Amino acid sequence: MTDDVDLSRVWTGVAAEVWRRRPGLAERLAARLLRSPGLARALVTTPSLLLGWMIATLAVLAAGAVATRSTGTPYVALFAPAVAGAGIAYAYGPGLDPAWELTQSTAVSDRMVLLVRALAVFGLNAAAGLAAAAACGMAAAVTFGWLVPMTAVCALALAAATVSRSPNVGVAAGMTGWAITVLATRTAAGELTAAVTYSSLVLPYLAFAACCGAVAWYATRIPRGAS
Amino acid sequence: MNIELSELTRRFGRTDAVAGVSMEAGPGVLGLLGPNGAGKTSLLRMMATVLPPTSGRLQLLGRDPGRHGPRREIRRRLGYLPQNLGYYPGFTVAEFVEYFALLKDMPPGRVPRAVATAIEQTGLGEAARAKLRTLSGGMLRRAGIAQAIVNDPELLLLDEPTAGLDPEQRVAFRALLRGFGERATVVVSTHLVEDVGAACGQVALMDAGRVAFRGTPDELIARGEGSGAAGDAPLERGYSAVLASVRSVPGTGARA
Repeated sequence: MTDDVDLSRVWTGVAAEVWRRRPGLAERLAARLLRSPGLARALVTTPSLLLGWMIATLAVLAAGAVATRSTGTPYVALFAPAVAGAGIAYAYGPGLDPAWELTQSTAVSDRMVLLVRALAVFGLNAAAGLAAAAACGMAAAVTFGWLVPMTAVCALALAAATVSRSPNVGVAAGMTGWAITVLATRTAAGELTAAVTYSSLVLPYLAFAACCGAVAWYATRIPRGAS
Repeated sequence: MNIELSELTRRFGRTDAVAGVSMEAGPGVLGLLGPNGAGKTSLLRMMATVLPPTSGRLQLLGRDPGRHGPRREIRRRLGYLPQNLGYYPGFTVAEFVEYFALLKDMPPGRVPRAVATAIEQTGLGEAARAKLRTLSGGMLRRAGIAQAIVNDPELLLLDEPTAGLDPEQRVAFRALLRGFGERATVVVSTHLVEDVGAACGQVALMDAGRVAFRGTPDELIARGEGSGAAGDAPLERGYSAVLASVRSVPGTGARA
């Protein structure tokens, strides 16, 4: 037995306890679900899941709901894909994550971070959009009709953002693509909601989303270089 | 050997940032010197697995970083401080260091003590709960060093680590480097030759994307003796003498 105490070691133990961060409920659930505390931490730092962004998303959808109720035109169905596309483009990438270069050198896969963040943003936007659509009392075809086009717009925004390595390009691509689709289908079918209500568009939307997903997957592959 | 490079190149457009570097390094502190644009940062980024090489062979910790599994294993054992440290302004120092401990796949149970140790080693104990946005440039640099060492890396890559540190902090940091160099391979890119003299057992001097000199600080000093090269200190004169001799040979740029 010795009376010597390694004060440095004791202090480090105390400091570890004092400085230890208590993760929130969402992070604890994500860590359990993803089986990776690092991935869970990366998820809760998603720029487009931060409070300010979420408030902005809800504000746009609420404005859409008010406009829908007052005019009868389902603006929620038209806004939701664009808002979700922007959120996806702003989920991960250089210029968004201040410590992106550092993150690139860590063991948690970039692709997994991107995938998990994109899925979370998509899920939350879909839930918020559905709630807004339900609050307007829209027809079922319109209430759910925008989910497939939203998938395509999100995939387009993701592909553009990953290929160009610029979230702004992703947002621009998603919004422009969706605006062109709405205007083109309106011109062809004569009604503003054709882009979300015509069942014949479902397969093209899904095929387009799959292609964009493949592009994003390729753009985020591990650059092998020569080794 | 923890680092094995063979004819490694990295091209950006028409520019060869790294033009055929071959080098090996085991445990110890290797100082990477060179003028601006010599290719130090590109070389360090390739070793940090952030930037893929254009051609050549790169082995880190005995593994091939071009393959997914080995790459992940390398990254678990890697510490990296980039030249421009990005950070989350709303994070505290402890949160920032913890974030990277988790991203480096450290076992969660080991993280709090590792974070505390790294913060103490970099002398940031009093600022551990301060938001990063409130820190001075030197303290931010130390927070960056803390995240780099939090996983007790076997390969530690530091790009301009002493930028912004005051003389007292620089002395403490050199001692930290020497300690790491006893058990890990540490590569330090710097403009400050006094850092090299005080902390590095080996020096590599880069110019125009190539290694122009590789040896000990004493050997670099010897290159400057009697050469008439410019410099206020022996290492600076050695540095200048090597660059002058390399640049005096037309068409060759630098040699390994």
